[in-house]
Amino acid sequence: MGMRKVAIVGAGMTKFMRRAHETGKELSWQAAKIALDSCELTLDDIGCVVMGTAPDAFDNIHMKGDYLGDGAGAWRKPYIRGFVGGGTGVFVADQAWYHVASGLFDTCLVVAEEKMSSAMPHPQGNFITCWDMFTESPLGPSLLWFFAWEMNRYMHAHGITEREIAMVSVKNKKNAMDHPAAQLPAEITVEDVLNSEVMAWPVKRLDVSPTSDGAVALVYAAEHVAKRITDKPVWIEGVGWCLDTIYVGQRDLYYPKYVEYAARQAYDMAGIKEPSKEIDIAEPYDPFDYKELHNAEGLLLCGKGEAPKLLADGVTQRTGRQPWCPSGGALGVGNAIAATGLMKVAELFWQLRGEAGKRQVPGRPKKGVAQAWGDEMQVGSVIVLGV
Amino acid sequence: MPVEKVTQVSQTKPWYGALSSKYGEALLKTPEPGLYGQYTYGIAGERFFREIKDNAKITGAKCQKCNLIYVPPRIYCERCFEGLEEWCEIENKGEIHTYTIGWVDLDGSRLEEPVILALVKFDGVYGGIVHKVEEISADNVKIGMKVSAVFKEKREGSILDIKYFKPI
Repeated sequence: MGMRKVAIVGAGMTKFMRRAHETGKELSWQAAKIALDSCELTLDDIGCVVMGTAPDAFDNIHMKGDYLGDGAGAWRKPYIRGFVGGGTGVFVADQAWYHVASGLFDTCLVVAEEKMSSAMPHPQGNFITCWDMFTESPLGPSLLWFFAWEMNRYMHAHGITEREIAMVSVKNKKNAMDHPAAQLPAEITVEDVLNSEVMAWPVKRLDVSPTSDGAVALVYAAEHVAKRITDKPVWIEGVGWCLDTIYVGQRDLYYPKYVEYAARQAYDMAGIKEPSKEIDIAEPYDPFDYKELHNAEGLLLCGKGEAPKLLADGVTQRTGRQPWCPSGGALGVGNAIAATGLMKVAELFWQLRGEAGKRQVPGRPKKGVAQAWGDEMQVGSVIVLGV
Repeated sequence: MPVEKVTQVSQTKPWYGALSSKYGEALLKTPEPGLYGQYTYGIAGERFFREIKDNAKITGAKCQKCNLIYVPPRIYCERCFEGLEEWCEIENKGEIHTYTIGWVDLDGSRLEEPVILALVKFDGVYGGIVHKVEEISADNVKIGMKVSAVFKEKREGSILDIKYFKPI
């Protein structure tokens, strides 16, 4: 379609943690600097900057994109903040792609940051300003309710048990043991998950990712520039994003149709016909354990309701046929919302280059898909990378 | 086995040796006293909440073209983008589409008693109402259960004019 080929040539991230001493700007700078250093570029080599950060409410700083700009390397550069709530991290990866693919810029620095620890007494309370002010907010809804409704509906539609779902949390926290930047690496059992405190049934403490502070950055380059920078470019082969209706009652809670639409857009662009066979690694968004399964179904990695079986059969383990969240995901590495979405893209970058260290998926993976999800639980953003 | 040492953000401490941030804490106490939002109900919201206030009835808006009834009502169809002008009364008989049993408050603290929170859908309606369910124990609530809205005697045009939904 007349677009230029775009490669990822560098990546960096900070450690994810419950509360960082660094400000959001400082976290952004740390991640951006590591990413630039990783491909031996300086800010002078960067044509434009795309920034991702989720609700302003976490920091109580409005126009947060502008606030973070200098930390993201945006001084006197074309700069834009992309924002679709929890879907932001992969959405900005898509957005940065069209900055370069369009021919407008030869390089782009994409940075995603989140500092949730500023929000008191708990960041989930800040979502009260996100719901409908007349039909939802007066009830004092917590974000957990919305997840719990979806998880319950998903379980009900396919006869899936809490026990089957808990295995996601076990797998991802274990995968995170090999991630040097992880916040919640742990060896836990299914029983630990089932016995953890109920927060909003069927959601229990260990079904949920933590709140986190952290930042991630990637460097994009057009093909002719990428070839001068590295012998190991990772190509962006497909992008897709889609929003469903914002009204919770109007969505099919058991299945994320909008994720499917976003995935189809990305797969069509990448020429992928059978994602369940052609994708070597997937990083579906896993803010809750059931979401990895739910999102993987939306990504067409299996049929509706079939994800728990792949999990039980070991297919999605790091050593399985199609690893899901080999990074450790939001459940293990941490859920610094926008940063976690971009962390998933960074994980594919490292995995496809064979640079994932102890996390390296065996068998020289060639194609990966990363996905983020969120906003009011109605947005899907997808990216397909390949080598 | 506790996986996290601290699960409440409010319990996290400043970094050792860091300045304690009194000024930062003050800034976080938003909204400032005296600052608040004043939202208008809008055209469809006015209709919806006035019917609740005056007649204790649930109202929908019908799109003839897409054959959809929106609850809460809208003045436009998000699918075909046509304006909607046909209001209809929705029978006070819904079904629990999904539910949760909430044990945690907005600040992350534990509730003494759990609350049942459900998405209630109505026959032939696109959408639904989010609300509490009472007059049933948490152990007995089920997806698919028929429920109806219990309205307050004295109503002011709020979703809280519905006290809760109860099984029928």
